[in-house]
Amino acid sequence: MHRRRLLQGLSAGVMASVATPELARARAQLEQAAAAGLDWRLALADLDADVPRTPMRRISGHAPSGLAGSLYRNGPGKFHRPGGSAGHWFDGDGLMRAFRIEDGQATLEARFIDTPKRRADTAAGAVVTVGFGTPARPGAIVRSADDANAANISVIPVGGELWALWEAGSPTVVNAGDLSTKGIKTLRPDLAHMPFLAHPRPDPGGDIWNLGVSGQKAVVWRVGRDGALRSASLVDLPMASYIHDFSATTRHLVVVLQPWVQDRNFQTYADSMTWRPELGAKVLVLDKTDLSRRRVYDLPAFFAFHYGAAWEEADGTIRFDGCLTTDPSFAIETGRTIINGIWSPEAAVTLTMFALHPDGRAVIEPTGVAAEFPRTDGRMSGAPRRYTIHATAVGGSPLFHGLAVHDWKTGRSDRYDFGPAHLVEEAVFVPRPGGAAELDGWLIQPSVNLRAKATELHVFKALHVAEGPICTWRADRALPVSLHGAFVPA
Amino acid sequence: MLRPSLPAVRAAAVAVALAAPVCLFSSDALAQAQIQAQSPAQGTASLVLTFHGLKAGGGAVMASLAGSPDAFEGKAPAAAQGMVAVAGDTVTITFSGLAPGRYAVRAFHDLDGDGKLGLNPFGVPTEPYAFSNNARGSMGPPSWDAAAFDVKDGDNAQTIEID
Repeated sequence: MHRRRLLQGLSAGVMASVATPELARARAQLEQAAAAGLDWRLALADLDADVPRTPMRRISGHAPSGLAGSLYRNGPGKFHRPGGSAGHWFDGDGLMRAFRIEDGQATLEARFIDTPKRRADTAAGAVVTVGFGTPARPGAIVRSADDANAANISVIPVGGELWALWEAGSPTVVNAGDLSTKGIKTLRPDLAHMPFLAHPRPDPGGDIWNLGVSGQKAVVWRVGRDGALRSASLVDLPMASYIHDFSATTRHLVVVLQPWVQDRNFQTYADSMTWRPELGAKVLVLDKTDLSRRRVYDLPAFFAFHYGAAWEEADGTIRFDGCLTTDPSFAIETGRTIINGIWSPEAAVTLTMFALHPDGRAVIEPTGVAAEFPRTDGRMSGAPRRYTIHATAVGGSPLFHGLAVHDWKTGRSDRYDFGPAHLVEEAVFVPRPGGAAELDGWLIQPSVNLRAKATELHVFKALHVAEGPICTWRADRALPVSLHGAFVPA
Repeated sequence: MLRPSLPAVRAAAVAVALAAPVCLFSSDALAQAQIQAQSPAQGTASLVLTFHGLKAGGGAVMASLAGSPDAFEGKAPAAAQGMVAVAGDTVTITFSGLAPGRYAVRAFHDLDGDGKLGLNPFGVPTEPYAFSNNARGSMGPPSWDAAAFDVKDGDNAQTIEID
């Protein structure tokens, strides 16, 4: 049954066009996976109700002593309603998960974030609220962006609470203990409903830097660790690009502007954008101490969602990495189809190093390594670093099957591939108590085990990924894959 | 590809909701309503506006009564303007001496007492606002047709939810 439906999806999505060797290979992979009873759609299925805290079962290895705390993860968890469904993966209701590790045991719980959007959609029995790729339906009440705020991309711990982040509206405050929703965080009354991206950059000094983007303007947020606003300033951007993430060194904010630009008003965000590769990409570098001091670099066109933390070398060269692809087709098409069970092979997303030289030259150096969801050792943020953690290993389905740590010094990729039965989520680094060296600690990474139909949590030694997980716990059910998380030590 | 067919472009499109600036009120006509209900005192009709659901105490509700689509869009003077201090969750504003006809109301809760509808730097209101008929736009004001109502000789009333 699954196999037939997969192939139906494939024929609708792909086979209408001319068959190529890549498509034939993808079709073969799909057939193989379906025959093996592996249905990737499990990882993108709706969760209908909150999941109370439930023990996970340890199925291999042992938790390292010293690993204790909570991994909070956020991402869309419900897409379909009887009267009409979300039109994009990015428009599902925010679902906060907590994996809690203590005394070698792990538990899992999940709770939907109680947003005005979720309340309106629930009351209507349909997804009526406009989104990234979902048009408004009758009954929508959107007085400001926060009425459309799905709070569904990421989570950061701030001042003892959790902030669930979207990117076009305010943070949503969530209780770290029971994952209940406290409400919208207004950083200052006159700045209500301003956009706040899902990927803030912490300063070594403790402050959190972030952007909020509206067309060719951005607000630069600086927030204390206690959640109090330190400053908010407006800056002009060279292009009205889609900005999901940015980077920062100790001294600079590094804002990549890709040529997917907003050039018209339209019902959905994605439809207001146009891919204009002829414009190329730009990188705006802002001095944190004086935002009027800026520099703009030019690069050829590419598309990316995510970047790694930047650093500055002795000669002033700024380096950072990103996960680059050729165009925004995931944002425009794939993100729409996969929640309806339709997927076709995507262009490669490649780990790529940027170098911004003091003489104004900008260079990108692709590694050839498939990569998404880059993370780094947060203790290094803004300072020189050697490693990037990322999801890797693609084929046969959306998302990724493996984990890697890329060593920029040697060019070596230390990787582990779970194979087609697992769709992995972003891995998060947890420092070993008492350790200080980069990546002295563990990587913790959930996956959806398609064969067992269950969410798992894996622990790796961060510098020995290829050895495989040193501990794995399995939940009694599969949750939809999440996007981004944060670990809070016990 | 499942890209939906493209719906008609609206002036206040929701792309705006997600990124672009929006200005709900195209002029400051409403913001200028700093005096107590000021009515033309030439007609035979009166109108009581009742505002319900005020959650935040303090400040004032400011209302602008438009007698034409242009006035509703802030391109022509309002027929009357009113302001009342907020105490509790309900307030009323009364206009008298109105000429019978078709009218629409724009109102906001002036929480900070500056006499203006607060807008964030990207032009989105930071203070609660509402319209007659409880009409709602999608990331923009509703149309005149959605907000307009008849005022007849004698007593008239409108109840508006705000906050």
